[in-house]
Amino acid sequence: MNRAMTGLLMRAAAMALALGAFAAPASAQRAAPPQDILDVDDQPGFIPSKESEQLSGQWEKQVVFFRTSEAPGTIVISTKDRYLYHVLGANRAMRYGIGVGREGFQWSGLLKVSRKQEWPDWRPPPEMIQRQPYLPRFMAGGPGNPMGARAMYLGATIYRIHGTNQPETIGHAVSSGCFRLVNDDVIDLFDRVQVGAKVIIKHQPAV
Amino acid sequence: MGFARSMSGALASAMLCALSVSAASAQTLKAVKDRGELICGVSQGLAGFSIADDKGVWSGFDVDFCRAVAAAAIGDAAKVRFVPLSAAERFAALRDGKVDLLARNSTWTLSREIEFGIAFTGATFYDGQGFLVPRASSKTSAYELDGAKVCVQAGTTTKDNIVEFFAANSMKQELVELGSPAEALKAYEEGRCNVLSSDASQLHAERLRLAKPGEHVILADVISKEPLSPAVRDNDAQWGRIVTWVNFAMLQAEELGVSSKTIDAALQSKKPDVRWLVGTDGALGEGLGLTKDWAVRIVRAVGNYGEVYDRNVGDDSRLQIPRGLNQLWSSGGLQYAPPVK
Repeated sequence: MNRAMTGLLMRAAAMALALGAFAAPASAQRAAPPQDILDVDDQPGFIPSKESEQLSGQWEKQVVFFRTSEAPGTIVISTKDRYLYHVLGANRAMRYGIGVGREGFQWSGLLKVSRKQEWPDWRPPPEMIQRQPYLPRFMAGGPGNPMGARAMYLGATIYRIHGTNQPETIGHAVSSGCFRLVNDDVIDLFDRVQVGAKVIIKHQPAV
Repeated sequence: MGFARSMSGALASAMLCALSVSAASAQTLKAVKDRGELICGVSQGLAGFSIADDKGVWSGFDVDFCRAVAAAAIGDAAKVRFVPLSAAERFAALRDGKVDLLARNSTWTLSREIEFGIAFTGATFYDGQGFLVPRASSKTSAYELDGAKVCVQAGTTTKDNIVEFFAANSMKQELVELGSPAEALKAYEEGRCNVLSSDASQLHAERLRLAKPGEHVILADVISKEPLSPAVRDNDAQWGRIVTWVNFAMLQAEELGVSSKTIDAALQSKKPDVRWLVGTDGALGEGLGLTKDWAVRIVRAVGNYGEVYDRNVGDDSRLQIPRGLNQLWSSGGLQYAPPVK
């Protein structure tokens, strides 16, 4: 999720929390934000080149050896390593390079995919528009949308797995967003994932 | 009488001999401290594991392990003399006291322990025989290789493992046997086979020598057990314990999030497991014959296990070997340290 969405959703989450309806995992571990955040602004309307969306080396989508007792179809996110694993069974997983945002970086726990959305819309909140007046008030889903090509919502929380129009942020902790994949990867994952799939987020707690 | 005297004389000298051997070899830690230098047996040059640059500076996964032991034992990771050893001479060199420690990508087997009187201290890297295939083949598993033409080096266990694995999984194969790893790689590149098989760590290094490394992938499966482990002589329990727990301390540090970046924060930590590791609680370092901050020295010198892995053979290196079996147990791998407490 982008910064604008984050602000909006943070407020919504705060309200939900006040109402006692916020479904954050009970095991969530709070920790200080990481020091190595890449401070980049969202770039609505920017359409990355095909080449820049082509990841290489460790960030490229690949089948890896992955021992787990979790069922095939489960998603395991390692925020420390910037990888998302989709469990395939028989000791393998499809591994995707991800960017991890501030909001996706501070906790660990268990959630479920509650909704899937193709080309999600974007609505920057007022405080973000105040800071960056040039931002649109609403941006329909499509190429150039900071939310990217697909989004998978996690439980009733503010967290989600989504695409991006900034492929250079993969492998980094970025100043906005939850778990972002390049668009080709998020489309690939979206097609494999069912609503109801288990999502395990592993975060390295502070020493 | 003469016979009895000479017998007792022989016995006495045999006992004396045995005594002097055990006295000399059971004091490895003292010898290292007195010398102010650790003598570490390494390979003659294997990318990622132990290799010297043109200035003679050694680096690699095994080299960092030597440095970690030096940091723990004498407080200075730079005080290591590296002795390159061939595969044929390595275990005898350790047995004969030419090195204090062998960290030379050696597979841990019982027969080696028995034959040479050595003790492996715990697998630092789980390797295994794997498969390199063209990316365009879209293969993702060794179980999809039915009918493959496989290039292997002749006269190795690699070939036997292939025959066994394919037969056990009701698959057919055709072997193309070559004289050396370089010839096997060439044959694969020329298309004389569509699969190259060797130890996975070696395949990652060989892939870099192909014209377009990105067009080839190493499958996630391994079909043999190759636990690579440092080794020491088996008659010095104190030294063996130190070397074993240097590895465990590096693993425990990774598991707890203690790294070269967080070590200062770790020294202020209130978490019991962290305090045991960094020596703010307990006296484990002294118990090992070292100092309280032994693990801190290791982490400051080379980092935790994950840092050493990433830098030398993992994501931050040219080899880019996925963690796989070498993940921590808590992330589905086999790397598991007993509690450091």
